[in-house]
Amino acid sequence: MSDGLVQILEGNTFVVSDDKGDIEASRTDPTGLFSFDTRFLSRWVLTVNGQRLTALSTDDLQYFQTRFFLVPGSGTVYVDAKLSVIRQREVADGFHEEVRVLNHDNVPVDLDIRIEAASDFADLFEVKDALKKKGEYGNVVAGDSLVLRYQRETYVRETWISASTSATIDDHGLSFSITVPPHGEWKTDLQVVASQGEPDRQADGPIGIRGQRRVREDMSRGLEKWLQRAPTVDCDWRPLEHIYKRCMTDLAALRFSTLTLPGRALPAAGLPWFMTIFGRDSILTSLQALPFTSELASTTLLALAERQGTRIDDFRDEDPGRILHEMRYGEMTAFEERPHSPYYGNADATMLYVILLDEYERWTGDSKLVRELEHTARAALNWISDYADLQGNGYVSYQRRNPKTGLENQCWKDSWDSISYRNGDLPGFPRATCELQGYAYDAKMRGARLARLVWKDPAYADHLEKEAADLKRRFNRDFWVKDGEYFAVALDGDGRQVDSLTSNIGHLLWSGIVDTSKAKAVVKHLMGPRLFSGWGVRTMAEGEARYNPIGYHVGTVWPFDNSFIAWGLRRYGFKAEAACIVAGILEAAEVFDGRLPEAFGGYERSSTMYPVQYPTACSPQAWSTGAPLLLLRAGLGLEPNGDNLVVDPALPSWIGNLELLDLPGRWKRIDAFGRGRIDTDRVTRR
Amino acid sequence: MCKLRPRPGLALAGTEHILAVRTAKTSSATATADPINDFFAGLAAPGHLATFEHEVGTVRFDVPDAIAAADVTDLEHWHVTIDDGDVTVSREPMPAEAVVRVARPYLELMVTGRLNAMAAMLRGLLTVDGSVAALMVFQRCLPGPPGSTGKVAPISSQAVMAQRRPM
Repeated sequence: MSDGLVQILEGNTFVVSDDKGDIEASRTDPTGLFSFDTRFLSRWVLTVNGQRLTALSTDDLQYFQTRFFLVPGSGTVYVDAKLSVIRQREVADGFHEEVRVLNHDNVPVDLDIRIEAASDFADLFEVKDALKKKGEYGNVVAGDSLVLRYQRETYVRETWISASTSATIDDHGLSFSITVPPHGEWKTDLQVVASQGEPDRQADGPIGIRGQRRVREDMSRGLEKWLQRAPTVDCDWRPLEHIYKRCMTDLAALRFSTLTLPGRALPAAGLPWFMTIFGRDSILTSLQALPFTSELASTTLLALAERQGTRIDDFRDEDPGRILHEMRYGEMTAFEERPHSPYYGNADATMLYVILLDEYERWTGDSKLVRELEHTARAALNWISDYADLQGNGYVSYQRRNPKTGLENQCWKDSWDSISYRNGDLPGFPRATCELQGYAYDAKMRGARLARLVWKDPAYADHLEKEAADLKRRFNRDFWVKDGEYFAVALDGDGRQVDSLTSNIGHLLWSGIVDTSKAKAVVKHLMGPRLFSGWGVRTMAEGEARYNPIGYHVGTVWPFDNSFIAWGLRRYGFKAEAACIVAGILEAAEVFDGRLPEAFGGYERSSTMYPVQYPTACSPQAWSTGAPLLLLRAGLGLEPNGDNLVVDPALPSWIGNLELLDLPGRWKRIDAFGRGRIDTDRVTRR
Repeated sequence: MCKLRPRPGLALAGTEHILAVRTAKTSSATATADPINDFFAGLAAPGHLATFEHEVGTVRFDVPDAIAAADVTDLEHWHVTIDDGDVTVSREPMPAEAVVRVARPYLELMVTGRLNAMAAMLRGLLTVDGSVAALMVFQRCLPGPPGSTGKVAPISSQAVMAQRRPM
């Protein structure tokens, strides 16, 4: 996000404006009021006596609330310093904006206040790709509202704008002729409602897309309650408390409610452009947050179950049992010009779904939900063997069936050049990336545990465990790069190893698929100079042909990736190494003032001193927000064991004492303590 | 009779879908004049569908004959009850958690896999009174697009490299 833009959000409704609160979007400029993946305002400009205003200051009061302090005049010369204007905006089903005009003079003042409004009703995809609209626009004045309208066949979207005080309304805005008494003030409340406007019912007023308007007080209280319910962190290393609070507040802002599960929230993938359900991102973030809140996990499991694939649909890359990749609500999805209703093109979320279901049960003991979702989990496990084995070689592979608008790389490293041979050549399709095999193994093992414990089907459990053991045996043979002593990033369509060294091997530790005899060699690579930058593990090792320290998936360091690698190191007993990752990423979080970016540069730490942020559109990003939470888990060695929580700390020495109080779970509430004893500087600052 | 065109690139020939309800088979020589009737008959026939296990819900389709639905008095009804996998279909306009209104030509497209239910809702071709969740459950039994095979030809490394800039 560029500097000077302000975003305020709630659910998938958000506003991006300049520091004056104005919106002047062009076709491709990502500012405006957005809701359900559609821009509902592309112009929103306040003037006083025909003049634009200048910002004195802008305060983000809450993530959904911003206040702009303004004076008339533009540039550096104030036309009239005896007047100030305060705009306070809160997002709801659209937004609510209070405009106050303060007269600081001893005499009354007559003013013309005007707010100009327009909308291009662009789909988010159109903003990204600069595409042309196919429908028609029409603005109307309906009673005391200005209605901006877009219609393409039966698809109608409207923006309803009204004011609490009397206004002159025309097709392009609202005008107020006012007199403000000496040392007095005038104010009006502007209401902007994003509506899916059913033409027949237009006369009744706007129909908010969610069907009802959220009450503002509820949102403030909601955030307060969310923070109160969360465990508390007490640490000698002070920045940690700030990082933790930032994470929990950002997680609150990322909460997303679906139309089918009102009152419940799951984590959307990122603000503002990914405020929607993403199978992979919602699952991984829920996993990271599980020690602190289980609410995100249960909602994610339910929402993804509702939309689980049931048929063969090549346009959407849908198969029976497959868990969705991404859901969208805009015009291009509505007209099936994009497959996101939902789109299923990922190869990992289905397995991660079973992993989350099991991990959720281990923390919460909520076997009721596990029973309720038995059919979903079985369908997901069936997908692995019935639909994901594209090559008939017993490995999970991916290849899109929608060549036009489907995704080429259906693993988390989804950019075009992320999977390559050492020499930089790109493999063909299908591709079987290594972490997918790890997830498949883990899903089968965890599915077996649930089958035995909750579904009471020991025969199915045996069957799954047998398949998992067979997969593990073959995997350790076929993916092992003998001359490098690590696992290949993938097998290509001919079963040949795609032999570059990547961070994917860390996910293999997390999954448990790695033979114990090979773990030490894998860890040596992860902590060695080619992969470990001092801040964290790079996505691709230095020395590979496509390595680039600022390449999206070919050299940058991803905090989320590292959090799962740390978990994997703990799984195999490499406590000190896990502590080094905890140290590097938390120190980076401190530099980024508590909010970790999606990725940062893979430069050697000693050469740049500071982590260099990779420019991405979204901040906060859900799985970066969740990373410190999972790192706290890894550092303290938190592991549910029956009705107990095992605590086995291995923390950087400079952290000092660390206390996590009131961790929720099947034990009700429990406290965990640890003291930093590991000299991580030796590795992170080498 | 219908303004909608099928999505470009999709063949219109019938195909087999890996689905409990194989209504899309009503192609070729046995094609009948009423795919909607066939669909609901096929839905009720097995009596039980695994995809609806653990689900309880009722959905009623109110179906005007024409797209311009001004004539609201002349509606066909299909009422579907789902009870932990058991499925019953009735033609009576009984109350339901979700009342779905969709014109016959569009419902025909939906039950033959040519129109996605969620897309239809976003587009305003279909409206739901009541529980969207109940419609979400129901849509699981709709077939995929005709022509979808689940198969795709492999692409070689050389072909991928040819499309991408060299290093």
